Amino acid sequence: MELAIGIILAGCAIGAGLALIAGIGPGIGEGNAVAKACEAIGRQPESKGAVTSTMIMGCAIAETTGLYGLVIGILLIFVAPNLFVNILKEAVK
Amino acid sequence: MQIDPAVKKETRYILGFSILLSAVMELVFYLCGHMDYTVPLGNLLGVCIAVLNFFLMGLTIQNSIGLDEKAASEKLKLSQKLRMLMVIALAGAGVGLPCFHSLAVVIPLFFPRIAIAFWPLFNKKDQQPADEQTLD
Repeated sequence: MELAIGIILAGCAIGAGLALIAGIGPGIGEGNAVAKACEAIGRQPESKGAVTSTMIMGCAIAETTGLYGLVIGILLIFVAPNLFVNILKEAVK
Repeated sequence: MQIDPAVKKETRYILGFSILLSAVMELVFYLCGHMDYTVPLGNLLGVCIAVLNFFLMGLTIQNSIGLDEKAASEKLKLSQKLRMLMVIALAGAGVGLPCFHSLAVVIPLFFPRIAIAFWPLFNKKDQQPADEQTLD
């Protein structure tokens, strides 16, 4: 029983760690988007307002991808262990 | 520090839409019979995290516009990592503490994404003159 609980907790922790890898991608994507936007504004300074607005929205969309992983990670750490341990205990009874 | 009008405008839009979606979410909780004091508290925390994250991202973009490409890219990567840590800490506290409803904390984190999906509808009027200018 204790071994099974240990495996559940370890699985949840490893899963949460893997889910948080999703946080790396948005940083790279946002960095590239801003670099290209800087280039565009350098070429056409009069389009600064429109480019900034579009870029903010684009970066927010990219950011959401990381948030999906983050939410999965948080749920795996705080919610899943109790849920799975309860299911295991009921199955053993 | 001066805040760019574009950042102010978009943050105001995201805040307004988040408040609207929060009302809808609380109504759903009420109809499901899960409404207690933890839901509005969790909702408030979730909306604050989402809007603060968006506003800080806007500020970083505003500050990185004058820089050269590589510096701007590095600045935004660092900002994204720090903001992600902030969201992990605050959302983790919200899910872990018993005075906040877990779902009411987590769901508002996606409100900015939903707001952005409707953004082109509200921005049609602003875009039309720019299109006409490019045609001329």
